[in-house]
Amino acid sequence: MKHGRYPFILSFLALPVGLYAWLVVLPFAQAFQISLTDWSGSSNSFNYIGFDNYANLFKDDRLVLPALRHTGIILVVLPLVTIALGLFFAFMLNLGGRSRQGRIEGVRGARFHKVVFFFPQVLSVAIVGILWKQVYAPENFGGLITGALTAVGAPAPVNGFLADKRFVLAAVIAVLVWSAVGFYLVYFSSAMASIPRDLYEAGIIDGAGRLQMFFKITLPLLWDSVQTAWIYLSIVALDVFVLVYMMTPERGGPDTASEVVGGVIWKYAFNHAEQAFASAIGVVLFFAALTLAVVSLRFGPRERIEY
Amino acid sequence: MRNSTAAENEALFNGRNPSGPTPADRQAIFTRRNLFGATAAGLAVTSLGACATSGDDEDADEVTVGDDAENPFGVDGAAPLDVVIFDGGFGNEYAIAHQAIYNEAFPDAVITHLATQAIAETQQPRFAEGKPADVLDNSGAAQIPMDSLVSDGELAELTPLLDAPSYDDPEVTVRDTLRDGVLTAGTFNGEVYALNYVFSAWTVWYDGKLFRDQGWTAPTTWDEMLALCPQIIEAGIAPWTYAGQHPVYLYDLFLMLAGRHGGVEVLKAIDHLEPDAWRNESVVKAAEALAALYSAGYILDGTPGIDHIQSQTAFNERQAAFLPCGSWLPNEQSAIAPADFEYTPIGVPYLEGSVQPALISGGGDEPFVVPKNATNLAGAYEYLRIMLSQEGAQIFGDTVSAATVVKGVALENPAAQATDALVSNPDDLFQPMFRFWYTKMNEEVRPALGSLLAGESTAQEFLDRMQTVADETAADDTIEKFTHED
Repeated sequence: MKHGRYPFILSFLALPVGLYAWLVVLPFAQAFQISLTDWSGSSNSFNYIGFDNYANLFKDDRLVLPALRHTGIILVVLPLVTIALGLFFAFMLNLGGRSRQGRIEGVRGARFHKVVFFFPQVLSVAIVGILWKQVYAPENFGGLITGALTAVGAPAPVNGFLADKRFVLAAVIAVLVWSAVGFYLVYFSSAMASIPRDLYEAGIIDGAGRLQMFFKITLPLLWDSVQTAWIYLSIVALDVFVLVYMMTPERGGPDTASEVVGGVIWKYAFNHAEQAFASAIGVVLFFAALTLAVVSLRFGPRERIEY
Repeated sequence: MRNSTAAENEALFNGRNPSGPTPADRQAIFTRRNLFGATAAGLAVTSLGACATSGDDEDADEVTVGDDAENPFGVDGAAPLDVVIFDGGFGNEYAIAHQAIYNEAFPDAVITHLATQAIAETQQPRFAEGKPADVLDNSGAAQIPMDSLVSDGELAELTPLLDAPSYDDPEVTVRDTLRDGVLTAGTFNGEVYALNYVFSAWTVWYDGKLFRDQGWTAPTTWDEMLALCPQIIEAGIAPWTYAGQHPVYLYDLFLMLAGRHGGVEVLKAIDHLEPDAWRNESVVKAAEALAALYSAGYILDGTPGIDHIQSQTAFNERQAAFLPCGSWLPNEQSAIAPADFEYTPIGVPYLEGSVQPALISGGGDEPFVVPKNATNLAGAYEYLRIMLSQEGAQIFGDTVSAATVVKGVALENPAAQATDALVSNPDDLFQPMFRFWYTKMNEEVRPALGSLLAGESTAQEFLDRMQTVADETAADDTIEKFTHED
């Protein structure tokens, strides 16, 4: 690059970077500042109280600790299940069919399945919440799953899945997986499409079954995409809030059984009028996400394979 | 094209420039570092200026009551008025009518009217920047906690309003036009900060028509209610339902059961966070009675999983016989209930040995507040005075079939009349306040009650839980404590 290009480039960057600094970076910085005070959120006076908020945060076993626990669970389960299902479906819909005349292709009706699986992505998260709230409702009130279970004589929670402490977190994770799999199906499909078919043909000639084709050929070549998907899904897991807000009783599950960090921040900020405490939780979440991103990128993409 | 060397291959592989770092690269690193440093420094400087917490801090005006009966607060006729209404069970139609009356007196005033359910989300930032609305109906699930607004000194005291001449009769002050005991809910340590506009009682509702058709008599005691339950079940109806997802609907049911048994002092002890207040015999009996409702199977299946509309609709569909709810019930369900549904409120059927069997949780509800930093304080007081006029109260009563706190307004609605009869003795009116005074207890009592009625915890566990949080709140010096004045 030649000299004199930099002012030119900077002049283009100034506006977007400025907007970004003003709307994203500045509020983050203020969150740090606010977390050191006792601001309630509805007045313009406050006192600095140092790190008291952070100390109290880790002692709050009514809301914060359950939320951290539950978010941790979602953080582990969501990427695992979504990627596993996404890979499985992508594999089946692209490569898993019986090879007809030596062509490697997906199972029958693959195109139809792709559309159907992608459909949840089209729905807005609020609609997904309302939809699944009804699906999980108690049998007496038209719940689909409880109705179906009782119809075949299986046990079903009488108050519906969302009012039952044992099931509410799993129910929320199930909805998250349902809405995310379609996207990752398409994502892995396109990644798989770039794998040359002759590798598979070589495998078939050598007598590889579907399972071996998947684990020995597809997965290693897709590892890049899997890692990216993992990072995306981890961030989604840390941000889960809207579904919990919309579907669960008391916006956090029966007796805080499905509280998540986002929800707890919201509750402290708006229901308890303790915005400073909520900011402290937000800062903790920020550092958690940052650590996650750094760790993921350290175990980052392996060497690129040319083919 | 020459073949690349091994070193160059290495560099290519790792995304670096194979001919080594160019002067431009070195400059780029240099510039990037510079930029980062500059941004950080800039942030530190500008952050304080663009703070979320740096609002206006002018001294608030004071409003005094003048001699002019038509305009006692000295309202500036040209000043705009900013009104925010909670768009819940009572809607906001009444507010529009009240604003029309304000405009008759002050035709030049432009009134901004906002009806929303998201009170905290829309109004908290306004409080924070020091530019709140003039009149705020601080109610609903997203209410800004009253205890925090009072502790922060964000609300104007309402004495000027109460001491002013009333809208209809200048000889009578506004305070004297109100029913007894309705200011208590808005009084914090002797000062009135909120005008609770609606006279609401938490009662147990049943359908008069259903009971008449089935030949049932409404129970007055708990034992009578328990005796009636098997008959109700035989008719294929569940005796009780409630808003399972919002256990706050059980709050007054439980506390009135305890209060009726042991007298109002039992409830005051709980509100005052006295040690062992939750171990009182009446409180224990009430908890056990409610737990027994679940274990006897008298609650509609699936109730803990439904919200208030679903429970109320089930009640309208005669799937359940009794529903604990407030006086807004007929209005909230007006579009859903069948035309022949006869809403009949009764007090909680009292336990045997009750010393105050007529105790009822009634009083002011729907708190209207005037922020201290409101731009048009005088206009705000005048608007509230209009709401408290006979005409204003009549408009409210007619639009939502519920009573206001103003005396002497005739109501045609049978449910409202029945409620009136229940609350006729001011000595029997009491609103348990701890869920408004202490957010911590508010957050605990809801899941605790939900758990109790869903059979997930025993009465003893429920009481232990509540006693623990009451003791924690009492011991916490950072929480401001409130008391009942009488």
